[in-house]
Amino acid sequence: MAKTIAERTDEELAREARAGSRRSFDELARRYKRRLFVYLRPRLGSDEDAEDLVQETFLKLYRNIAGYDPAFKFSTWLYTSANRLAIDSFRKRSAEKGHPAAERDLDIPDPAAGVGEGPAASGLWEEARTLGGDRYRVLWLRYGEDLSVEEIAAVLGRTRLAVRVLLHRARTSLAGRLGPDMKRTPRTAAAGQAARD
Amino acid sequence: MLCTLSRWLISRAEDTGKALPGFAGRHVRGCGACAEFARTATALSSRLRTERSAWLAEVQDFAVEIRPDATPMPAAKTGEREPQRSWLSLHPLPVAAAALVIVAGALVLFQLVLKGPAPTAEERAEAMAALKTITSAPGEFQGVIGAAESPLDKERRVLERSVTSAVEYLQARLNIRIERREPPAKAS
Repeated sequence: MAKTIAERTDEELAREARAGSRRSFDELARRYKRRLFVYLRPRLGSDEDAEDLVQETFLKLYRNIAGYDPAFKFSTWLYTSANRLAIDSFRKRSAEKGHPAAERDLDIPDPAAGVGEGPAASGLWEEARTLGGDRYRVLWLRYGEDLSVEEIAAVLGRTRLAVRVLLHRARTSLAGRLGPDMKRTPRTAAAGQAARD
Repeated sequence: MLCTLSRWLISRAEDTGKALPGFAGRHVRGCGACAEFARTATALSSRLRTERSAWLAEVQDFAVEIRPDATPMPAAKTGEREPQRSWLSLHPLPVAAAALVIVAGALVLFQLVLKGPAPTAEERAEAMAALKTITSAPGEFQGVIGAAESPLDKERRVLERSVTSAVEYLQARLNIRIERREPPAKAS
């Protein structure tokens, strides 16, 4: 019995999209749009910018789907494209402003995140987002997408050692902020339960 | 220092699945802060994975719209690739300028480096002295030239010597004197 479209793996859908299936591509977009959004949001100025970049990433993927190699994970390919687009977008904006700046300047933690709330009330991912761009991104790719260190290095264009250092620093920072009490908060527990339901 | 190293190894174990080395394990068992870090690292991994769905659920839904007419998939549908124009055809002037610079550089290099140095005054003096030695010894010079003369001249000299010998024999035998008549000098 053939799998339904929801049961197919990302790689199967990507193969079908490469063969011209628009429906498979739409399913991939449905699966990944929120995930890309939370990945890109901290390095952009607003939700609208993040949505635009997600849109742009899928447009680029749609155009280049013929270049997808099924030997590689679809998520690695997707996040690599998104990462490059985010860097290009940042450079364009820097050029428009008329002054070059390092990318990390844009990785300012979202000021709206966690204001007036401690980590116990805002959830661990919200706390992770305040760590800054690189650390948040590696945490998301590692625990949000379950990518290996090697795959994260490929996505970010860094060495494996650099990725491990970033992960270690992210853990150390989070551990320092959260302290020994790592018990779950009622809000995150409820949200997690709702998402599972 | 040992705490820093142990925490790095705890992180490595989280990322790569490698077991903690013996000394780090012993340290963690004896160090409360590092033991806490190990517990926190494990709890963080678990909680980040668990809370992922909740984190995504907080994102407002939005549409991803791709118009097929505006963004076709040319390679997948046609199997063709747009032919790439060569870099040379796209940038003829920079290429010509670069070629000119390379040629000029090669010429300068040849003039400055590859061409041999001019002879010094001492070398010139030695060459002139050698030339004077040759010109001041014409006999030897002629001897050298004579050694290389043609076989016809050799034959001529042999005949001349034979005739002279025959004349001397006749003079002695017949008691006569034969005078040698020199060929008339050519009018200048």
